[in-house]
Amino acid sequence: MNPLALLAAAPAVPYDKAGRYVAAAFIVLFACVLIYVAIMATKLQRLERDLTDLNAELDRREASRVEAPDPVGPAVGAATTQETAS
Amino acid sequence: MYGKGLRALTFATLIALSATFALVVFWAPNDADQGFIQKIFYVHVPVAIVTLVAYVVAGVFAIKHLRSDDRRWDLRSYVVIHIALIFNVVGLATGAIWAKASWGHWWVWDEPTLVSFLIVFLLYATYQPLRFSIEDPEKQARYASVFAIIAGAFVPLNFMAVRMATSLVHPRTFATAEGGLPGEMMFVFLVSLVANALLFWLIVKYEITQKNVTWQLRALRRRLLGDDAVAPIGRSAAPTIAPERAP
Repeated sequence: MNPLALLAAAPAVPYDKAGRYVAAAFIVLFACVLIYVAIMATKLQRLERDLTDLNAELDRREASRVEAPDPVGPAVGAATTQETAS
Repeated sequence: MYGKGLRALTFATLIALSATFALVVFWAPNDADQGFIQKIFYVHVPVAIVTLVAYVVAGVFAIKHLRSDDRRWDLRSYVVIHIALIFNVVGLATGAIWAKASWGHWWVWDEPTLVSFLIVFLLYATYQPLRFSIEDPEKQARYASVFAIIAGAFVPLNFMAVRMATSLVHPRTFATAEGGLPGEMMFVFLVSLVANALLFWLIVKYEITQKNVTWQLRALRRRLLGDDAVAPIGRSAAPTIAPERAP
């Protein structure tokens, strides 16, 4: 016999009033878990957005550092190093 | 790290919940008196037990907070009570469904077990407004801990009082004098209890980890962009742990 037909003929959860109440009790639990997962997903999206913002800010800073190098030139820096060494 | 072991715990919870559902539907025998309706027992009773134990655990965390003055214990106590309240609602809802199916009424006011569970829920429902009403974080944490300890001590006292009271219609589940649960039912019940406890702990861990990540990110934003880039928190019921104290 086809397993689906067998399940329809003798379901694990009966179609009567008792089956509906038991299903409702389990649905309450799973609905709460599902709602929690949805709330957590929203919070995760917010965290991801914040992290993307911070990464973008870091990229912007690195780019501006490459375009405009340190005003203290290498010659002055070398002299300073020599002075320090002496 | 609060998120340590989160993946393993998630898989364990998933397996335990799936096993519970399969055992309840396909293996647990039907009750001789109530028939299939009695299977609500496997979701209602474990959820209620986990809720009450969680309230006591929150009280223990609150004691640790007051003894050590470590705000992380306040965070744990807060999150445990927060999730226990949701489990409490599930317990009340599944109980009402079972009552309607079994007794024909959604609620019976002269039944001590039901009313006491509602009283516990209403008691803990005041926890969040209490926290929100206190602006100073230090004072808020201290008052909330005192509340959690007193309320946590009330829970077992309340439970014992109800057990000693004369019940009208609500059954005494583990009363061995009346026969108790048969072996197969007890096995499924214990699996369900473990699954619900794992689910509770998993949600608590997710919540604490999320809060910790939010705080770490906030601290990072402040270090990178300065104080002006971080919006003030304002008044909040949730505890605010200093990022440098977060592990």
